[in-house]
Amino acid sequence: MNTFASSSADPIIAQNLVRYFGDVKAVDGINITVKTGEIFGFLGPNGAGKSTAVRMLTTLLRPTSGTATVAGFDVAKHPDEVRRRIGVALQDAAIDPLMTGTELLRLQAVLYGIPQAQMKNRASELLERVGLTAAADRRVGTYSGGMRRRLDLALALIHQPTVLFLDEPTTGLDPMSRMSLWEEVRRLNNEGTTVMLTTQYLEEADQLADRIAIIDAGKIVREGKPQDLKAGVGFPTLLITVPSDQTERAKAVLATFGDMRPTAEGSLGVGLRGGANVVTDVVRKLDEASVRVQHLEVNEPSLDDVFAEATGHRLEGAKA
Amino acid sequence: MTVATSDVVIETTARSRQLSIRQTIAMAKRSTVELARQPALIAPSMFFPIFFAVLSASSFSKTTAIPGFPKVESFMQFTLASTIVQGVLFGSVTGAAALATDIENGFFDRLLLAPTTRTGILLGRLAGSALFGLFQSAFFLAVLVPFDAPITAGIPGALVMVLSGGIVSLAIGAIMSSVAIRTGSAEAVQGAFPLLFVLLFFSSAFFPRETMSGAYKRIADINPISYLVEGLRALVLEGLTFSAVVRALLVPTVICLAAILFALKELNRKLAAL
Amino acid sequence: MSTQQNAASVAMPTTMRSARGLAHRGIRNIRRLPSAFFPAMAMPVFTMIAFAGTFAAITRLPGFPTDRSVNWFMPLGICFGAAFSGIGLGFSTIRDIETRFYDRLLMSPAPRRSLIIGPLLTAWVRVAILCAFVIPMGMLLGVRFTSGLLGLLTLVVAAIGVSTISLGWGLGLAYRFRDMRGAAVMQLTMFVVLYLSTAQMPLPLMSGWLHDVARINPATNILRLARQGLVRPDSPDYMSWSNTWGGLLAIAGMATLTLVFARRGLDKLDR
Repeated sequence: MNTFASSSADPIIAQNLVRYFGDVKAVDGINITVKTGEIFGFLGPNGAGKSTAVRMLTTLLRPTSGTATVAGFDVAKHPDEVRRRIGVALQDAAIDPLMTGTELLRLQAVLYGIPQAQMKNRASELLERVGLTAAADRRVGTYSGGMRRRLDLALALIHQPTVLFLDEPTTGLDPMSRMSLWEEVRRLNNEGTTVMLTTQYLEEADQLADRIAIIDAGKIVREGKPQDLKAGVGFPTLLITVPSDQTERAKAVLATFGDMRPTAEGSLGVGLRGGANVVTDVVRKLDEASVRVQHLEVNEPSLDDVFAEATGHRLEGAKA
Repeated sequence: MTVATSDVVIETTARSRQLSIRQTIAMAKRSTVELARQPALIAPSMFFPIFFAVLSASSFSKTTAIPGFPKVESFMQFTLASTIVQGVLFGSVTGAAALATDIENGFFDRLLLAPTTRTGILLGRLAGSALFGLFQSAFFLAVLVPFDAPITAGIPGALVMVLSGGIVSLAIGAIMSSVAIRTGSAEAVQGAFPLLFVLLFFSSAFFPRETMSGAYKRIADINPISYLVEGLRALVLEGLTFSAVVRALLVPTVICLAAILFALKELNRKLAAL
Repeated sequence: MSTQQNAASVAMPTTMRSARGLAHRGIRNIRRLPSAFFPAMAMPVFTMIAFAGTFAAITRLPGFPTDRSVNWFMPLGICFGAAFSGIGLGFSTIRDIETRFYDRLLMSPAPRRSLIIGPLLTAWVRVAILCAFVIPMGMLLGVRFTSGLLGLLTLVVAAIGVSTISLGWGLGLAYRFRDMRGAAVMQLTMFVVLYLSTAQMPLPLMSGWLHDVARINPATNILRLARQGLVRPDSPDYMSWSNTWGGLLAIAGMATLTLVFARRGLDKLDR
């Protein structure tokens, strides 16, 4: 078997990847192919199996079955070769609070075999790049959440990896820090780094990813370019809120305009077969049925709709 | 557990006394149940003292012939008294840890705000440790006496020893509470513990004072733990004498009362500062 | 700067360089978190003073190999301290696993053995600091080496041996438990193994079951190695080749076992 695949191979290939924890199947036979130079978004709610899948791809966890090659090497058979070629920014930016930014970068450089002569330059370049030069000699314990993430990213880049894994890189960050991290990810990608990004934020996936896979309960339920996936949902969603005693009547009316869609508690949604043009007709029919509309909005298809359509429920906390 | 509610303020004195007794009992129950539910925390304080007793009985069996060593049947008989004190000390580490957690969870704030007697609540909180101290002492005697370590004072002597163990436990709890109230810091409570072990070691707990010399002997001579252990030891080696009973019960009682008074004083000081 | 694809040009990290990098971190943390190191220093001093003071009279027993109780108990204190140095690194490994800092180390291409050798170097440095502190203190309290520098050397070698054994044990348990339950098991077991030896009494003066256990406990050989330069020259435990190799063999055997235990635990971390 050719485990030393050629360098032209896709940087991440997972085939039927399965992982059990005891009797629990955390990852249930996923298949992914990430192309060179892509930003690939791995989208799903907490506990969907994203992190488990990434831990397998980054050699931290052995697959129960299935295979994966990353940067051309089998993760189970040649973990060291994989490790040399990937950079990983971890979910909670686990960094030793007693060390300074520079010390951590140097330790990372040593662990990745960066020659002594290059170490100093490399560390200061990276600190500059992520805007931490001024804080370089402060203990990490004094850093803000955003600074920790940026340092984490710098650590992941110390050996100029060809494939970068970002596991929930912006969870818990304020909007400003989030934007600046996105900027940096785009810049890295433009320089040729393939990025695999896991996130529970629809907007993040939509903004950054060239292609996404939606994972739910350990299975990939949709995969493709965000715009294609959204187009696949087709019609825009009409969301209305009505008094609770009129819900049934409203549903009957809406059903004549398209398929009902899952919504947050308290509202009704329908995929408008006739597009946004038919909204006035819908309102008229509701009025005729004596339904009082309290709130109305028309949404172009979003990744949340894709997610809802694929799984039957909305992504938690991702409501527009 | 909630204690302070606004209608308590309008209770009559009699009813408030009744309430305070109820609170004390509730606290005692809580702290006892808390200990009983955590066998993993209790186990080391049951195992280690027995381990050390058995270990030193075997290690030091020949030392009983050293000049100045009291007349004993075995080293185990000699070490019976120190096992109780040491075991209770070990055991109250658990109580202190619970106390530390209480501080972090704001228990002492509630204590400060309680409308009725604070002594009762404090004692109630310590009751779990005291009961555990009684239980430990009885357990150690039951396990070790059959190993060539008879108690000369017989059953009454054994009862005095068990009672003494309970009071020692209460005393340590009271000391730790005053540290807790004074500093309000869980770490300070935990950090105070090694000091107690140092105190235990610099006493005649493990070897007779008669065989010691120099500075070490002088420290042991002024260490109250020496007199406590020697009181218990006299019950084992000599019999039920007035002096033995007084030392076994009086030393921990005095320490206990002093610590509780100090704890309450600290509590009032805090209250005045509110 | 650009992130051109040059991973292949980066050399494979070597074991010793990676281990030194990790050791550097561990040593720095001694300075930055002294509260974690303090018990490992205070404990041997306390053991030495308290045991030597309390049990001073045991030196009067006929056949006791020294007339100075500090000579007898200082090596015990140092061995306890050395054991805690190794175990302390087990604790910090558990902390690293819990905070996921360890994931960072595991994802690096650094050779796996460097993840064990790094902490081992740290443990040795801690033992060196320990000896540099406790031995002069012991000498102030009356410790006298009866066989000069050689005695000092064998004591330090024994301490390094104990720290190696306890490090392997500590890491092995850290990799298996992965939480603070492991810490309790580490302490308890090391404690019991050291005590079930000639910790308090020389073999000929012991009796019963403890004598039988201590006779076959390798910790007895290690303590003999540690104490051989501190006992009377006419004692059978005095500095000799046979007392030395017995100790070295015990260290080699136990250290091999615990380090293999650690390595296997490390290899199973991804299970």
